[in-house]
Amino acid sequence: MRTSVWSFSCVVGVCLLAGCDGGSADFPNVDCGDFPARANCVRVASGDAAGLLDAVNALEPNTVVILGSGTYVLDNQVTIRTPQITITGQGMMDTTLAFGTATSQINGIDAVSNGFVVQDLTVLDAPKDGIRVENSVGVTYRRIRATWTNEADSTNGAYGIYPVRCENVLVEDCVAERSSDAGLYVGQCINVIVRNNVVRGNVAGLEIENTQFADVYGNLAENNTAGIVVFDLPGNPVVGRDVRLRDNRILSNNLANFAPGGTVAIIPAGTGTFALASRRVEITGNTYTNNQTGDIAILSGLVVDTDPAVWDLAEADLIGDVSGLGLPAGTMPGTVANFRTENIVVANNTHTDGGLSPDVSREFGLLIRAVFGERPVSSVLYDTIGESMFDPNDASMNSNDNRICAGGNTGGNGVASLDVPRQLVSIGSPILVIDTAPFAPFDCTSLNGGPVAPVTLP
Amino acid sequence: MSRLALALAALALAGCDDGRMRIADGPPLVPRTGRPPDQLSHLRLFEWDAGAFRYNDRVVPYDLTTPLFTDYALKERAIYVPEGEAMAYDPAVPFALPVGSAIVKTFYFPRDLRRPDEDLTLIETRVLVHGQDGWTAWPYVWNAEQTEAFLRVGGETRAITFIDAEGSERTASYLVPQRNQCTSCHERNVGPGGAAAMTPIGPAARYLNRDLDYGAGPVNQLAHFAERGMLSGLPDLGGVPRAYDLTEYEARGLDAIAPGELDFAARSYLDINCAHCHDPRGTQGVTSQLFLHHDSTSAFNLGVCKRPGSAGAGTGGLTYDLVPGRPDESILVFRVETTEVGAMMPLLGRSLRHDRGAALVRAWVAAMPPVDCNAMEMEMEEEPPPEP
Repeated sequence: MRTSVWSFSCVVGVCLLAGCDGGSADFPNVDCGDFPARANCVRVASGDAAGLLDAVNALEPNTVVILGSGTYVLDNQVTIRTPQITITGQGMMDTTLAFGTATSQINGIDAVSNGFVVQDLTVLDAPKDGIRVENSVGVTYRRIRATWTNEADSTNGAYGIYPVRCENVLVEDCVAERSSDAGLYVGQCINVIVRNNVVRGNVAGLEIENTQFADVYGNLAENNTAGIVVFDLPGNPVVGRDVRLRDNRILSNNLANFAPGGTVAIIPAGTGTFALASRRVEITGNTYTNNQTGDIAILSGLVVDTDPAVWDLAEADLIGDVSGLGLPAGTMPGTVANFRTENIVVANNTHTDGGLSPDVSREFGLLIRAVFGERPVSSVLYDTIGESMFDPNDASMNSNDNRICAGGNTGGNGVASLDVPRQLVSIGSPILVIDTAPFAPFDCTSLNGGPVAPVTLP
Repeated sequence: MSRLALALAALALAGCDDGRMRIADGPPLVPRTGRPPDQLSHLRLFEWDAGAFRYNDRVVPYDLTTPLFTDYALKERAIYVPEGEAMAYDPAVPFALPVGSAIVKTFYFPRDLRRPDEDLTLIETRVLVHGQDGWTAWPYVWNAEQTEAFLRVGGETRAITFIDAEGSERTASYLVPQRNQCTSCHERNVGPGGAAAMTPIGPAARYLNRDLDYGAGPVNQLAHFAERGMLSGLPDLGGVPRAYDLTEYEARGLDAIAPGELDFAARSYLDINCAHCHDPRGTQGVTSQLFLHHDSTSAFNLGVCKRPGSAGAGTGGLTYDLVPGRPDESILVFRVETTEVGAMMPLLGRSLRHDRGAALVRAWVAAMPPVDCNAMEMEMEEEPPPEP
């Protein structure tokens, strides 16, 4: 019965948008019939860029927009402000939205839409972000490629795949390449699954920022400046928590940093993963190969912004679930702070050929080189900021107030603690402790508050 | 606009002359729900007649003390309030308009900006309609014959060449925004409970508080609205706030600004050009924590020695949003001066630099007592981090 509804809608759509001359030649792989759950279907003939912009600005809720094969050359973004929209091409390699001639500061696709799905297309050369979805509940990116023509070009757009301030987000089987900030960025979101994607040639490959309850698995991060990173920025009302990075491959992320500015510009090439200003993060079962500055770093937010007042968050403004986190008080009454990194498990990862040549063009790389000299950099680095006890000669004296658990990792160069607090007080050689198994006092296996649960989406 | 709808419109209008309506045909027809008509003339708000705008009754033109820059386009603005109703005066926020009202703004270029009344080409007319469910925005694009504008929800980008105030030829890559892009400036967190809602920007006391000649010599626009019965609650004009009037500055440059008024002038410019986003209620700019509304008082939120949020290419390699006394080190100055895609501000509506506007912002930063932002940060870094 539904079939007749959509087929009628589609006939209207063809006439409206393609002047009845679209034909199925434009839609060889994907057509209205593939979306029986959507009440309306609008087809846009191959290459009809103006028709596409007219169509998305006149959508009824609960509509699928079918793009034809080939390239749409657009000088303005595809803006969607209607709920329950699916926009699909004929395939990642078959349908391209090209923005290389755009003269405004626009994104490729820019959507605010609850129940939004975008799939089977490529967004090429967006001036700002490839596909930005903001402030929406229920967002799916599937088999999307966001890329730029030029490799390692600082004038490329900032983010490829960019859900921000969204809830219930799924990103799967996508490709994000060559962005000058982060290829696949999930920011200020709640309930997220990121799986089986490929990120390569970006400054940051895959970034989970100020996000709660994220499950990140089966992804390949290759040839970025940094592979997969988790952090909170200061001043943001979503305090990140409960992030699982598991069973990902983080390979050869040694691309020279080409960010034009911003926080990621300070990242040395050769970085596998860091967790910064983060809590309740599990980094397990991943494969790290040939990341030349280091594989995993666990860092306090104070390493990046040393002024604790910057990290104050008014409790009344917090968004999402902060129950059980025990966030420390901020510098002002009624505030908490999110610079602390605590409750981190790093276990059962495999390390090969990492940390052999830190990128000294960035301060962090220079610091690491100064500490390790010609020795290979340890596979897990911990800055020990916030520990009440730390003895440079005896690892077991480390208080582990932040509850960092590292163990069961294969290959690589072990775990190291840097006495960064002392380094910040008196400039000199940072004090290094390289632990040997059983990694005392880090040989815990679970987090306070129990393990991070898998994410389920409604 | 779709071909089918065009065809239907052509069919429906066959037999009429060109399908145009005239203001003489009756009062304005502003729909309170749904999509407005495809032809602008069918709203019966105004008509363009041999180089002059002619208005229907209850459609009253106005100017702003400080306008938003849009690639040097000249703008003709008018407001329509239904018979028997009035907008409500407010000293701080845009006036509340009754349902059924409309705000109409036409963007046009003279061939030569030094002769702004000659050889005019209308580009687009944007209509903000106050319907039963709130404000909606609709872009109409003028035809080549300049006889009618047609609803074009997908917008358009067009190269426009003109002679500027210095006599140089310039070409703008002029953007007619698509309907859904209107939210990027007009949607603010001003709805119930701080929810995002579409809202007008210009029709506020501080921008309307200036004179305009309605045919019998210059009169205050607010007084004129009140006299027409379209504005209620207007207090004595002496108590009405006013933004700095940049008309004279636009014509003569910095010499037109008294030394003691530079801050007032620059803050008025930043308010109308930036604060629709850079304000705690701006939906797009709030994450930057850079707040440029005219009554923003925190030095940090004005950008002083503040690092940007996620400006990326927008930093121009600079570190702080605003370094007092040092315009060349201030991201704010860089972003209003540059025409680099990916870095320039505002995000929409300019492909060219607003020379006068950029010069004003530069002069404002340069006149501030110098501060060494790096030294301030060094002091902080020398303190040990506290034990959490």
